[in-house]
Amino acid sequence: MKYFIMNLGCQMNQADSERIQSVLETMGLVKTEMEAEASVLGVVACSVRQKAIDKVHSKIHEWNERKQGQNLLTFLSGCILPADEDAFLRKFDVVFPIKDLSRVPELLRGSGIVTPLSQAPQPDATGMEHFWNVKPQYSSTFEAFVPIQNGCDKFCTFCAVPYTRGREVSRPSQAILEEVRNLVDRGYKSITLLGQNVNSYGLDKPGVERSFTELLQEIGEYGKTSGRKFWVYFTSPHPRDMGRDVLETVARYEVLAKHIHLPLQSGDDKVLIRMNRNHSMDRYRTIVHEVRELLPDATLITDIIVGFTGETEEQFENTRLAMREFGYQMAFVAPYSPRPGAASARWSDDVPLPTKKERLRVLTEELHLSSLAYNQRLVGSKLRVLVERSDRKEGYLAARTEGKIPIRFASTDLTLVGQFAEVLVESVRPLSMEGQLL
Amino acid sequence: MIVVQAPYRVHGVEEVAPGLFVLSFDRNGLEFETGQYLSLGIPGHRKEREYSIYSSESDTHLAVLIKVVPEGAMSSKLVELKQGDLLHVSGPYGYFLLKPSLDAGVPLLWIATGSGVSPFHSFASTYPVSEYHLFHGTRTLNERVLVRNFPPKSVVSCVSGESGGDFHGRVTTYLSTWELDRSTHVFLCGNCDMIYDAFDLLQAKGVPAAQILTEVYY
Repeated sequence: MKYFIMNLGCQMNQADSERIQSVLETMGLVKTEMEAEASVLGVVACSVRQKAIDKVHSKIHEWNERKQGQNLLTFLSGCILPADEDAFLRKFDVVFPIKDLSRVPELLRGSGIVTPLSQAPQPDATGMEHFWNVKPQYSSTFEAFVPIQNGCDKFCTFCAVPYTRGREVSRPSQAILEEVRNLVDRGYKSITLLGQNVNSYGLDKPGVERSFTELLQEIGEYGKTSGRKFWVYFTSPHPRDMGRDVLETVARYEVLAKHIHLPLQSGDDKVLIRMNRNHSMDRYRTIVHEVRELLPDATLITDIIVGFTGETEEQFENTRLAMREFGYQMAFVAPYSPRPGAASARWSDDVPLPTKKERLRVLTEELHLSSLAYNQRLVGSKLRVLVERSDRKEGYLAARTEGKIPIRFASTDLTLVGQFAEVLVESVRPLSMEGQLL
Repeated sequence: MIVVQAPYRVHGVEEVAPGLFVLSFDRNGLEFETGQYLSLGIPGHRKEREYSIYSSESDTHLAVLIKVVPEGAMSSKLVELKQGDLLHVSGPYGYFLLKPSLDAGVPLLWIATGSGVSPFHSFASTYPVSEYHLFHGTRTLNERVLVRNFPPKSVVSCVSGESGGDFHGRVTTYLSTWELDRSTHVFLCGNCDMIYDAFDLLQAKGVPAAQILTEVYY
């Protein structure tokens, strides 16, 4: 019996999918990329984004039509608002929050899935403890996402994560370190520590669990003793918990990638208050100064929401000025849209769409300027890059620098994919570069 | 941070002013810092809402102040709970903390509208000897009962809809007349419009943003 999973969420949802796959395969199910040949069809989605919800509805409608002539089973997981579960249960056979992964065999059996392995032993744990213990089916042979923390306690008003994934729970550090070491030993080159609030790791278990800095130190030390080359990233952090000690640790170890993700969301103090971000622009500015001081070569990336409820022209201008001041190498800028379940969904979405689009355009222009200025400084330098795939341009391979800047170079040697290579930077554009393989 | 998700039993619900209720319930050993909030839910209901803790760090039970929002998802159900009913409680959460400012020995100004006085009630009952000024804005005289437990010398009751308070008008109008030491740490809690207006006034008076703590009620 074959299964097919569609992922409509973020990296965290991808990590969810990789663990769901493992559980399905212990039941004897076989993965397929061909939706039409699967008997078990699943969606791992982020129900806090309306677009994702729309896609889920469209897909389940299509699958339920197919059910008229076929014996199919459908399931939904990922980030699901409790209030949406009942509605989805009317359309899917099985709906489960990811903390209930241990119950999946029981739920599928209850829906009629019987396979030779479906009498597999009961899981030795429940809830997130079981989730952490499941060995994932990594979707890449050189890049992996390692969840270290689940949920969020920050209650930003634009976000529903505390309601969809629950409160902050840190994964035991021993298990994280084991997974990281295993990946490194298997030759993985890029490992991203994942959490909705990754740098608050350990705060839920004070005195019992390692702090985020201590976790990074352990990984850094393993990097030293293993003698292997790899890069470790982490995302997504909250400025409130970004201490100087984290940055000092990243600076100390070669394997900790010089790439800092620091969500800004808005460059205006009053919008930050309305977003319940719990930090001021002064605090954010201090962190950026520390990044520049301790990690002068690091790339700095951010997330920004434009057109948040009540955002005035003046407040938006403060965000534009902040972008110019901080000179990001990459920014994920999104026009605000209310997320069901988030506090701000109860407020008027009062910035017109054309205004949001114009603000997005203005910030994209700013990003191109700062990215180009940074990339121009790299022309003529030799960089270690991780080769990812064939490039869209024929005869080229696509890679990323340690700072995750896309770079391509002329080569058709596919054995380089998943390997580090040395590249001389020859020409640059905003957000990307081109070079020569050395 | 300790996160607890367990059933808690309700001790009682007291209506302290029209539409404003104090809900008290088991503490179950939950530790918090005054100024933090809890997320409350009712077993069997899907939704949760966050409420600032109203009780002091040393009280044997927990309490929150609830303003009933007729179209709201939770408030009207919470205030209908009876003694012995179960509550889901998780937390504590938040960074609206008094202790660092107390330790710094700086002047304290607390500004609230309506039920936004809740964390200040916890501040004052946890540290009863602390020196502070509290400006409390309400529409009606009835709501002044929310500051009945504060020492009168510390409180300015600003009533905008009726005459009879310490000041007739908005709390931000009163703030604009107030002479402020620039080292003051200011705590703002209540609706976002008040917080925005107060934030602008405080910036104009030279109070740095880092000294302004906010807790938006929505």
